[in-house]
Parts: sequence; C-alpha cells; structure tokens
Amino acid sequence: MMFLRQLRGELKKLFARKRTYIGYMVFLVFEALLLSLWVYVGREQFEDLAKRNFIPVELLSSSLTATYWIMGFSMFLLGSIYFALVAGDIVAKETEDGNLRMVLSRPVSRLRILVLKYCAVIIYTVTFVIFVGVTGYGMALFAMGTEGGLFIWNPEMYILAVYPDRDEAFQRLFIGACFMGLSMCVVTSLGFFFSCLKIKPAAASVMALSVFFIDFVLQNIPFLANHKDVFITFRMANWIYVLQENIPWERIVESYAILMGLCVSLFIMGWMVFQSRDFKT
Amino acid sequence: MLKIQNLTKKFAGKDALKGISFEVDRGEIYGLLGHNGAGKSTTLGIVLSMVSAGSGEVFIGGISVRKNPQKALRKVGSIFEAPAFYDYMSGWDNLKVLVGLSGRFDKAAAKEVVERVDLTDRIHSKVGAYSHGMRQRLALAQALLPEPEMLLLDEPTDGLDPEGIKWFRDFILGLREERGMTVLFNSHLLSEVEQMCDRVAIIRAGELVYEGAVNELRDDRPGVKLQAEPPEILAQVVSSFGGEKMPGERWVFPEGTEIPDVVRSLIEAGGSVREVTPVRRSLEDVYLEHSSLSRP
Repeated sequence: MMFLRQLRGELKKLFARKRTYIGYMVFLVFEALLLSLWVYVGREQFEDLAKRNFIPVELLSSSLTATYWIMGFSMFLLGSIYFALVAGDIVAKETEDGNLRMVLSRPVSRLRILVLKYCAVIIYTVTFVIFVGVTGYGMALFAMGTEGGLFIWNPEMYILAVYPDRDEAFQRLFIGACFMGLSMCVVTSLGFFFSCLKIKPAAASVMALSVFFIDFVLQNIPFLANHKDVFITFRMANWIYVLQENIPWERIVESYAILMGLCVSLFIMGWMVFQSRDFKT
Repeated sequence: MLKIQNLTKKFAGKDALKGISFEVDRGEIYGLLGHNGAGKSTTLGIVLSMVSAGSGEVFIGGISVRKNPQKALRKVGSIFEAPAFYDYMSGWDNLKVLVGLSGRFDKAAAKEVVERVDLTDRIHSKVGAYSHGMRQRLALAQALLPEPEMLLLDEPTDGLDPEGIKWFRDFILGLREERGMTVLFNSHLLSEVEQMCDRVAIIRAGELVYEGAVNELRDDRPGVKLQAEPPEILAQVVSSFGGEKMPGERWVFPEGTEIPDVVRSLIEAGGSVREVTPVRRSLEDVYLEHSSLSRP
C-alpha cells in the first residue's frame, strides 16, 4: 500500500508539470498533421498500391489504417525523443534542482526511490503510447468515418496483412499499441539509465537518443542485414508482428524477453551508479 | 542522540574530513561552525547517508547510519540552506510527496504543523510563488513531519531577513523547550550560533579544531582598543601586563587586569595615549583564531 501511495506521489510529480501537457498537445498537433498528410497526400498513393495488389480500396481508406500510420510515425519520429527527454529528466533533473536532497534525507532507500521513478516513467510511457493510439483513432474516425478494416504493409518487416472485419482489426491494433508501448520502454530505460549518471538532464536525453538512433542507422546498413537480430531497434519493431495474420508468438516472446532483459540490466546499472554517488551541495 | 566517530572522507584524492568525532546529547542544540569548504556540509551529508564516509561511523539514537540508514533516519528531520521543492506543485502537495516517503501522510498532523509555521493561508499556492522565508518555513514543516527526535539544519537562516531569522531562531528554541528536540545546527553566522547553541564545534579544513560550550568559547577577559605612541613603549608596557594582541589595535589582558593601571604605566613610561576604548572579545574573534584566519 505504501509503495502505491509513493508511486502516486511520483506520478503526481510527472503530471503536475505544465510541460507534460505541452507534450500531449504537441503530439495531438503532430497526429493531426500526420492525419492530414494521410488524407490529402498518402491515401491516393496507397489506393493505387491497393489496386495494383487487387485489394479493395475501402480497406485502405479506413480510420484504423490511418491510426496505424499515425501511431507508427509519431512514435518513431517524436515518441523516441519525447520519452528520452522525460526519462532523462526523471533523476538528473531532480539532482540538478536539488529536490533529490530533500528526498534522500527521508528514511527511504535509494533503490526504492529508483524503483518508484522507474515504475512511474514506464507507466507514463505505456499510457502515452495508448493515448496516442486512442486520440489518433478518434481523429481518424472524425475525418474518415467508421467504415473499413485494417491494412498493414511493412516491407522491412516483411508484413502484409488485411483485416476486413473491423472488430478483429480494432483488437489487433489495440494489442499492437500495447506492444508498441512496451517497445518504447526501451528508450525510456535508456534515458533512465543515463539519468542516474552524474550528468545534466539534457545530456542524459541526448545520450539515450544517440544510442537509439545509432542502433537504428546500423540496423539499416545493407551489409548488416543478416544481423538485424542484434539491434535494439529491430527488436523494438517486432511489435508489428502482432498485426500479422498468424502471430509468430515465439519470435515476439523472444524479442520482448531480450528487450526486458535489456531494460532490467539498464535499471540495475543505473541503480549501481546511483547507489555509489555522493549527493552534496 | 547523535554520535559521530572518527569520520573521514576524500573528494578527488583530497581530504575533506580528517577524522571528525563529536557527540550531541538529547535535547541539546549543537552548532557546527566553519568556513565554506571546511567540511560542515560533508559531515551533515554523511549523517544523512547522502555522502559515503571513507571511514568512521555515525549513530543516531544508537542506530548505525551505515548499517541501517532507513531506521536511523526515521528519527531525523532536515533543512537545507536553499530548500529545493517542486516549484510547480503546491506547498501541500510537496508535503504529501515528501512526507509520504517516510510513511503515511497524516493530514491532521500536517495541518497542525502548517499552522504552526504560519503557512495556512498559502499552503495550497504553488511553491514557485513562495518567498525565501516561506520556503524555509515549508522546509521546517516537512522536517517536522512525522515527529522527528532530531533536526539537522544546514545553514537554515542564510538569505532570510532579520525578522525571518528571529522567527526561525525563536521557533527552534521553542521546539527544544516543548519537545526536548535535539538540533545539529550548521552555520557560519556566529551570532546565530551564539544565541541558539549550547555547545559548538569548529571545523577547519576537515579537522575539528575546537569543541566546547558556547560560554567557554566566548572570551570574557578584559579587552581594549588601545592606541599609543611610540609603538615600542606600547608593546613593552602591554606585554608587562601579559596583554595579547588582537586584530585591529585591540589587546586582551588576563582576568583581573585593571585597564587604568595599564594606561598609567604607559604615561609613566613616556608614551602618549591617543585612544582607550573597552571592547569585548567576541565569539567571532575566537572563531577566527581557531579557524586560523586572524590577522594579528
């Protein structure tokens, strides 16, 4: 019970900041922008693609398909930056501002403080991804109506799937959003780890993003194509397999076990550094 | 209540503490004096388990801070020079978050403490809009929740106006009076230490150079600002009375010395006396001597 009360306090700190809501607003604007691009530019191209592949056009032009694109792009382009910023701040900003001294003078272990902060930032990440999914879907519904199923096409991951049944499509997309949320926890964990080091909050975010983007660039180098499995960003992208007609659970479980191992390792390393640090004015 | 045993600490290979030991009794207000960088905050940091000691031990109420920091810190409330709250949250929410880390947040007790520190009207305003004095009072409120036996104050009156300093001093003295609160008071404001503390320790370059009662530290020997010429006669006469030179043409004499006798001897020796003003050798003088900054 006490842990939950303390976690509520940690979440309160996150949600009491004005910039948290600015973040939400920025995402809403970005989603609206992506939706407009989809409706006015992208839809035509994809309708052509669908016709060439003998797929009924109405499947493409649906709110669910638009939601899939909004989620994918907004998380990759903006989500990674945003989560790295939030997680990079979570410990380092409090150290910089001096709040941590007030916290550490309380009879609470450093491990507990970090567990609380980590849980808060993970909850924040997963719920944020779901928020993006829900709001993206809401906007798409408003712009495109309730008709149509879901069309998934991702050549890099070798996925082409069509769900004409709207209920099944919605279910798949929701599960996809949850897994995407878990994938984004890796960026959050990277930010959290760097935040535990004796560096500025901005430096923690930049380092987390650097690791993320370097990994992504390396993953896309052609001569490393056969070794994609070793890259974090490839494993993170495995959320998309829940949208495949026959879900390859073995592959998904393997990838998420690796990602979870990575997150736990990052947490432990962060804790070890944090535990050994001296906090003095 | 607090026992510090042979604390050492190095920062980047340099000794910050060189084996500091002292004890604070229950109900005592103990002052820790020293210049910036002397090792006062490091000592407090080790007591609060924020800084790891190179060697040595700290016991709070008989509990080792190294072995059982959470249990030891349950007895302690602390205030820092510039208390850093979450500015974007209200004072009340700050209390909830911080006190919640110690256990259950008791609303009734919190309301009582808030009223005591005179923050009732502004407790639901954002801390970002608080003055320095209000922040310090909020810091006091969080330190007093839930019911500590000891307060650690790290330069708490720095930046406060004279009214704020007096309020703070009276509050702490009141706490000791009512609850028998033990206080470790870290400061470089000598007047504060003089007015609040029972005992004092002076730290210089990581070493404890003095420990004793404030009354003992204060020197009540007769002192005088004495200007006379020629200087050789002045020095000769003053030393014949056992006088010691203090900064700024001031001299201190052994107890029982009659200053008029000194003046008479000066005149008889052919000296010309220009000024004789009685002065008290202040705590500051003693402090400066102990911290090796006096310029005789």
